[in-house]
Amino acid sequence: MPATRAPRVPAEERLFSLVLALLSTESGLTKSEILANVQGYRQRYTSGGDNASLERQFERDKDDVRELGIPLETIETPGAAGNNQTLRYRIPKGEYDLPLDVRFTPDESALLSLAAMAWREGALSAESRRALLKVRSAGSEDDDGAGTLGVDTYVPRLRARDAAFEPLRAALDRAAAVRFDYITPGEHEARRRSVAPLALVQHGGRWMLAAHEFATGSEKNYLLSRIVGPVTQVEVGRHPAPAGAGERALAELERIWATRTARIRVASGSDAERRLARRRDTESDGDGVLVLHHVDPQILAEELAAYGPEVRVLEPGDLRDRVTERLRALVADHTDDADDPDHSDGPDHSDDPDHSDEEARSRG
Amino acid sequence: MADQQPLQAQDKLAFLLALVPYLIDRERVSVAEAARHFGVPESRIRRAVELIAVSGVPGETMQYQHGDLFDIAWDDFDQNDMIVLTNLVAIDDSPRLSAREASALIAGLQYLSALPEAADRDAIRALMAKLSRGAGGAAANVAVGQDLHDVALDTIRRAMTEGCGLAFEYAGPRTQGGTRHVDALRVESVDTDWYLRAWDLDRQALRTFRLDRMSNVRVDDRPAEKSIDDVVIPDTLFQQAAEDVIVTVELESSSLPLVADFLADTADAPDDDGRVRIRLAASNGFDGVVRLVAGLPGRAVVLDPPAARAAVRAFAAAALATD
Repeated sequence: MPATRAPRVPAEERLFSLVLALLSTESGLTKSEILANVQGYRQRYTSGGDNASLERQFERDKDDVRELGIPLETIETPGAAGNNQTLRYRIPKGEYDLPLDVRFTPDESALLSLAAMAWREGALSAESRRALLKVRSAGSEDDDGAGTLGVDTYVPRLRARDAAFEPLRAALDRAAAVRFDYITPGEHEARRRSVAPLALVQHGGRWMLAAHEFATGSEKNYLLSRIVGPVTQVEVGRHPAPAGAGERALAELERIWATRTARIRVASGSDAERRLARRRDTESDGDGVLVLHHVDPQILAEELAAYGPEVRVLEPGDLRDRVTERLRALVADHTDDADDPDHSDGPDHSDDPDHSDEEARSRG
Repeated sequence: MADQQPLQAQDKLAFLLALVPYLIDRERVSVAEAARHFGVPESRIRRAVELIAVSGVPGETMQYQHGDLFDIAWDDFDQNDMIVLTNLVAIDDSPRLSAREASALIAGLQYLSALPEAADRDAIRALMAKLSRGAGGAAANVAVGQDLHDVALDTIRRAMTEGCGLAFEYAGPRTQGGTRHVDALRVESVDTDWYLRAWDLDRQALRTFRLDRMSNVRVDDRPAEKSIDDVVIPDTLFQQAAEDVIVTVELESSSLPLVADFLADTADAPDDDGRVRIRLAASNGFDGVVRLVAGLPGRAVVLDPPAARAAVRAFAAAALATD
């Protein structure tokens, strides 16, 4: 290591020293006390000089520390409210420490390792890893039990790849209302929605935002994949989501799931028959007819369109229309001008689209 | 660049704050054991201990005098690779969880409740409540719904723990069903899709099976030949092969999350209308790609090759003809 006149203190050493210093003070330290004395700042501090860049560093460090869940608080000096120079910083020990009844057994620790592993991407992955550090820190018994769960033989993955996911989570953290453009299937133009977020929930593999819509005064679920463009935060701090909002939103989705059913016919021995029969809550009517549950008819229509000729929707008619519309669009989008006069590779149905459309409607 | 460096430092800080209480609790622990406990390389433990040993509080004098710093038994550390903290300052307990951290683990736990090992609902609930308390009672604002606990899972897990083979009937969308004899290696899931990665005895190769295409799953009365230690399993569920045909698809950028696991390369940047071009690798014909495209929301269009376009058209037309 080359010896230099002013050795640069690594960022983690500066942050660690900041946390230690603020934990060990009852009355708090002012910003200038911190900058002048705490390891990592003091080396760069100019007494009586311009410390603007060091002050900015301190502001960023405070955010980093708080992001870890560390309760870094400010105290105003009595009689000097609003004066930045006399503001004091500290971390109250009682609020820093993990509560004594929160300790983890090796089995719990192993289960939480798996839970953390489910998140492999983005902010949730980093947060899970950090949470796991704290869990392991507080669960220091022997780890002999950890193998029983077979952490290496199971790989769970939760995806949260919708562009709106992180902006909405940030809004929930800041108790903000949001505005976004939302496109409903079948409509061509997205419509602006103004809502107070309650929770982000994944149901049936799709992420939804449960939120209170101001215009209608009602609670609604919004599919994240249908949010187009940016999510804007408004009225920060004024819309805290009530406790248990996520559980309630899931319960409501389950209620919808239980009541919305579709009857479909599946071809015998087909992939659709095998897989749809194993879908959650599917009932068999016998004779190749299955009753499927769903939350959103358009998503079910897309799921069914992926089985092509192996499925036929019996009811409701609305679902059948959605599947038919999707299939028609696929044919149109994959027909070139040259294909039109002769599409010998497809089944012969050259003049029945209109006809079957009529039939579909009259049967619906 | 500027954003990345502080994030790293933040993670290192979290590690230091977690390591100190562990070391206090253990009194004397080897570098190797600490590394195993936290699942990190030994070098990371050593670097952290060296930093902790010279860190502390400014103290009364604001001079970081000897008693204001942590200290370790240096001889034991240097000679025996053992860690003993001999002086403590400022912290003696683990930090609580942030609301976001607790929320991430709670949502992960909700997801795991589809596992046979997590079938004890009361225990899971208690653990979630504990996490929430560990974050100062913060409300979890991310929740994951219950998925089906596939009956096949129990049998697969039993075969794995008993070191036995596994047998089941399996048919793909286009293939005739048949009995498969495998050694189960690993169960994987992506949201609501569950897969078994296994050594296929008849094909003498690693294969990935969808749980919802398996039926009559049973433990085979023979010892498994391969275990997770014998076979290198790639991280991605689907591997591209040299003979695969590349299919170009244009879709809504909001549909990207639905195809992300199947991309042959990085998606193009979206155009002004939010349309994006991707490439998928098609093996054994276009059937897989066709079904994927048919199930996407909004407009999804195969652009190339023409044979893949024709396959989508034929598939959709055949489906319309069943009405």
